[in-house]
Amino acid sequence: MINNRSLLIVGGLAAVAWLASNTLYVVDETERAVKLRFGEVIEENIQPGLHAKVPIAQTIRKFDTRLLTLDTDTSRYLTLEQKAVIVDSYVKWQVVNPTRYYEATAGDELMAIRLIQPRVDESLRNEFGRLNLQEIIAERRDDLMTGPTEELDEIMREELGVAIRDIRIKRIDLPEDVSAAVFERMRSEREREAREWRAQGQEEAERIRANADRRRQVLLAQANERSETLRGEGDAQAAAIFSEAYGQDQEFFSFWRSLEAYRESFSDDGNLMVLEPNSDFFRYLRNAEPESGEDNGG
Amino acid sequence: MAWNEPGGGNQHDPWSSGGRRGGNDGDGNRGSNNGGGNNGNKGGNNQGPPDLDEALKKFQDKLNSMLGGGKKGGGKKTGGGSDKNRNPFALPGLLVVVALAIWAAMGFYLVDQSERGVVLRFGEYQDTVNPGLQWNPPLIDDVRMVNVTRVRSLSQTQSMLTRDENIVEVEISAQYQVANPRDFVLNVRDPAISIENALDSALRHVVGGTDMIDILTSGREILGSSVASRLQSYLDNYGAGIRLQTINIESTSAPEPVIDAFDDVIRAREDRQRTINQGIAYANAIIPEAQGQAQRIVEQGQGYRESVVAEAQGQANRFNSLLTEYTNAPDIMRERMYLDTMEDVLGNSPKVLLDVSENAPLMYLPLDQMRGRSGNQGRSSSSDSSDEQLDPNVLERLRNTQGSSSSSSNTNSSSIRREGR
Repeated sequence: MINNRSLLIVGGLAAVAWLASNTLYVVDETERAVKLRFGEVIEENIQPGLHAKVPIAQTIRKFDTRLLTLDTDTSRYLTLEQKAVIVDSYVKWQVVNPTRYYEATAGDELMAIRLIQPRVDESLRNEFGRLNLQEIIAERRDDLMTGPTEELDEIMREELGVAIRDIRIKRIDLPEDVSAAVFERMRSEREREAREWRAQGQEEAERIRANADRRRQVLLAQANERSETLRGEGDAQAAAIFSEAYGQDQEFFSFWRSLEAYRESFSDDGNLMVLEPNSDFFRYLRNAEPESGEDNGG
Repeated sequence: MAWNEPGGGNQHDPWSSGGRRGGNDGDGNRGSNNGGGNNGNKGGNNQGPPDLDEALKKFQDKLNSMLGGGKKGGGKKTGGGSDKNRNPFALPGLLVVVALAIWAAMGFYLVDQSERGVVLRFGEYQDTVNPGLQWNPPLIDDVRMVNVTRVRSLSQTQSMLTRDENIVEVEISAQYQVANPRDFVLNVRDPAISIENALDSALRHVVGGTDMIDILTSGREILGSSVASRLQSYLDNYGAGIRLQTINIESTSAPEPVIDAFDDVIRAREDRQRTINQGIAYANAIIPEAQGQAQRIVEQGQGYRESVVAEAQGQANRFNSLLTEYTNAPDIMRERMYLDTMEDVLGNSPKVLLDVSENAPLMYLPLDQMRGRSGNQGRSSSSDSSDEQLDPNVLERLRNTQGSSSSSSNTNSSSIRREGR
């Protein structure tokens, strides 16, 4: 009896639990849900919280409404001037209209991605085709992304119940062979620069050297000038001294100076003198008599 | 991320230990594992019962009302039955009480100092809870823990196009924190990947708007700050609840295939400096040398001047002295000086003494040979002339004229002897 009643109660509780689990459902903060009755949407955009439904007859589909990332494959686009670029982009999207989303994709995220990706691709492709490379890389990169974002957002809300929050280009790279050419150009630019640096060094060094040479030359010339001036001064002073001294007795100076000159000019061994015996010097040689110094004796 | 159900067996311990430790449990994660070791903490149990009772009561009320409001009328019976008849309901009642106790105990959890808990009640955001011991009804509330103080980082190395269509390699790292736990948990699926993508995009965007030379040299700081502001705006736009702390441009360099060319530029710059230094060294070497040389030249000039003057002065003095003597006795001085000089002059030179006036016919005098002899004394005699080859007449005459005077013949013979040697 006790057992029976207990079992009944436990069974009752179990029934309540089953009922609760089939009746009550929780929509998470990260989700929105739609309620279907035999496949027909009867309640849209159910907000987070605890909700109830009729078991069996009604079913609930929940969709992740967080911001999702669609990382697109890299693809090759052509710019306005027909240059190829490799582009990698990503799309931030979000389910905003669960009903529409359910209708369009049956709630399948992969399906949604398959629908979004080509649109993004095409829209970027168009955008790239309108701009040249310089504009794409530098000047109008923002426009490049905001244009398609706004355009696609509108369409996708309509068609898929999905908001395109952001399209961002990650990489814009040049294809491999073009990159090689770019590297080649970069290298040649560097070589040019390196050569310029070295040449500048040569120039500067040459300038310094030439300047130094000039200074040396000037220094020496100035020194010579000074030196010659000094010599001149010395000569002048010497001359002054001489003329002062010799001016005292002109005749004696001539005599003395001549004797000096004789001595000087005959100092060399190589001189051969041919002398006449009747010169004044030899007067005693001819005749020791003081009176007849002038006579020519045999 | 709240309490895991399997951990239910240990429920009491983390709660009690948590009661004592409170917020100063600094080591990051949940305190449950720490508490798990310390069984039977009495101090904690004292606090437990009031809460537990309240919770139980609350739950019983809820349960009653739920059962009452539910489809089964049995709920009322149960409620009423428990008063009347204890025995039949003892077992289910006990089960319920035990279940409730376990359930209530499962509701305790610790929030570490570094964390915040995002509480969802039936999936709906309710609260963000701060560090400390917290209780939320399990199964009803879902608590997701987020570390908000840890600085997360992310780094990338990429090669990318610059504005002038060059390619550079940039190594960048971003550090960020969770600023808004709610947004971080609820708004974006996989925030880490989002920030990675956003960083990639922002960096390439900024680099694409900058010239290569700026990226490689001066513009790195600006690069970092503009990437940071751009990235933050993306993240704000996504509502990611992330606050960027720093962007570091770790390095920027030329890509691998051209790096040697870039290095060569650096080398060239060094070479330039080296060449200039060599030039300066040259200048530094020759200018002082030239200065020295110039000084020498000037000194030589100076020396010449002084020596010339001194010499002149000396000669003048000598002349003056002589002149003084000369004025005293002019004839004697004159004669003496003359003779002295002639002695020196004739004493040093080979000489030929001949009487020209008596002999009318010109005689042959081999002056060249005589000179050559004296000039070639040291050499191996290019000319064969000797004493004997002199004209005998001349010798004869010479002997005749010189024989009488012994003094002069001495001189002559010595000089001829010298010639012969």
